[in-house]
Parts: sequence; C-alpha cells; structure tokens
Amino acid sequence: MDKGAALMENRNWIKLEFPSDSRNVGFARTAVALFASQLDWTLDELEDIKVAVSEAVSNCVIHAYRLEEGLVKLEVSHDGSSLEILVEDSGVGIPDIELARETGYTSVPEERMGLGFTFMHEYMDEVQVYSEVDKGTRVRMVKKVPERED
Amino acid sequence: MHFSIERQGQALVASLVGEFDLHSAPKFKQSMAEVFAEYPQLKHLILDVQKVSFIDSSGLGVILGRYREIEEKGGRLFFVRANPQIKRILQLSGFEKISEFANSTEEVLAWIRGQL
Repeated sequence: MDKGAALMENRNWIKLEFPSDSRNVGFARTAVALFASQLDWTLDELEDIKVAVSEAVSNCVIHAYRLEEGLVKLEVSHDGSSLEILVEDSGVGIPDIELARETGYTSVPEERMGLGFTFMHEYMDEVQVYSEVDKGTRVRMVKKVPERED
Repeated sequence: MHFSIERQGQALVASLVGEFDLHSAPKFKQSMAEVFAEYPQLKHLILDVQKVSFIDSSGLGVILGRYREIEEKGGRLFFVRANPQIKRILQLSGFEKISEFANSTEEVLAWIRGQL
C-alpha cells in the first residue's frame, strides 16, 4: 500500500490549545503549515493555508477576546487528500455571521480592513462559521489537494 | 519582522523584512506615525517588500491606515519588488487600485523627482 492510500485509511490529526496572544498567530500558522506539509501542496498553496489560519486566529485575538486573554483551540486533520482546520474560541461570538463575512466589514474599524473572512474564502475551498453570542465561535475550513498531472 | 526607514525628500522609504501580522504590525504602525509626525513634509510612502515572507490583513490594515493619511496630502503609495504571493494578496485586498507596483526604489524616486 502506498503512503497516500495508507493515509486515506488513517486520518492524521493534531490538536493545539494556546492563549489568545498575538505572538501565537505566527506560531499557529507555522504549525498548521508544517502539519499540512504531509500532503502534496505547492508552496503557494501552503502560503494560502497560512494566510487563512492567520486570519482565523487573529479574529480570536482581536474580535472574540477583544485583546484580553482567552483560549484558542486549533484542530487540524487530513485524510491524505484534503485538509480540515477548526479554529474555536469561547469569546463574545458573532451576532450576525452574514454581516461579519461581508468584505470590508469590521467590528473594530481602526485600521482593520474587514478582509479576514474574504481571505479565508479566497484561499480555502470551504469555510463554515458557527457562532453563538457570549458562547464563542468555531470556524471550519477545508482545502483539497488539487489533482495534478504527473 | 524588522524594518528600516529612510527619508528621501518628500518620500519615506521603508524596507520590511520577515512576517507582517497582528503581532508585528503595531510596531511598524508606531514608527510610521512618529516619522510622519516629525517630518510633516513627507507625502509619499515607498515600501520595499522584497523580503516580506508573509503578510495578512493585519499588516495590510496598517499600510491602509498610512495610505489614508498620505492620500490627504496628495501623496502616493508604492510597493517595490513584491513577489507573486505578496502581489496576489495586495491585488485581492484592493491595493492594486490605490498604489503602484515598481521594480526598484530608484525608479520610484526618479518618478517622484519628475513630478516636482
């Protein structure tokens, strides 16, 4: 059985928890990229994944916990052909998810571009957001390894 | 991320190195604010991004904030030596419409001198 087939049968995963400290944004995207390297991405695709993770985790720091300390949970898994990333917080939640996903919308206007979800959608194949006010937010992102000609 | 800043007439040239995100952006924002406050004649911003290995919306937000201020003075924003990945995120975020891409700082400075 080749490595790809074995991974299809055996899902691999990592789980991380860390405080919503801005220093951990870089750590999170690098950790995800290292784990994601088990799949056959181009360097550009790995960069795409890093941007998406950076946006999701930055949202936890800025929006969910409003720069106060909270816990960010990150789960990443793959089955050999697609990568799934879950970023979860227990922060303030998003009252209107559709509004939050609009390009240019931000709840903290000072030098925020409101592009976090736009980048996540651009760089990942699927993005789902689950949120409850005062309970927290969970972002699920999936990126499939493109089929390539040998 | 670290950076160097140099004044060239009415232009500020900033060379950025490393990852530009939520953690590193505030330091750059503060330095920019201090220099522009000290030298109000500055109106153009030239960002050499050749050595930027990563940027996200937090880094772009700081650049946008500075752009809004120089735009009021009639200034322009230039990105120099952007690699394809950086260029792509700049295009996606709309910077392509409000800034210029150039191959060298000298090229931009020559253009600015030609405008005087």
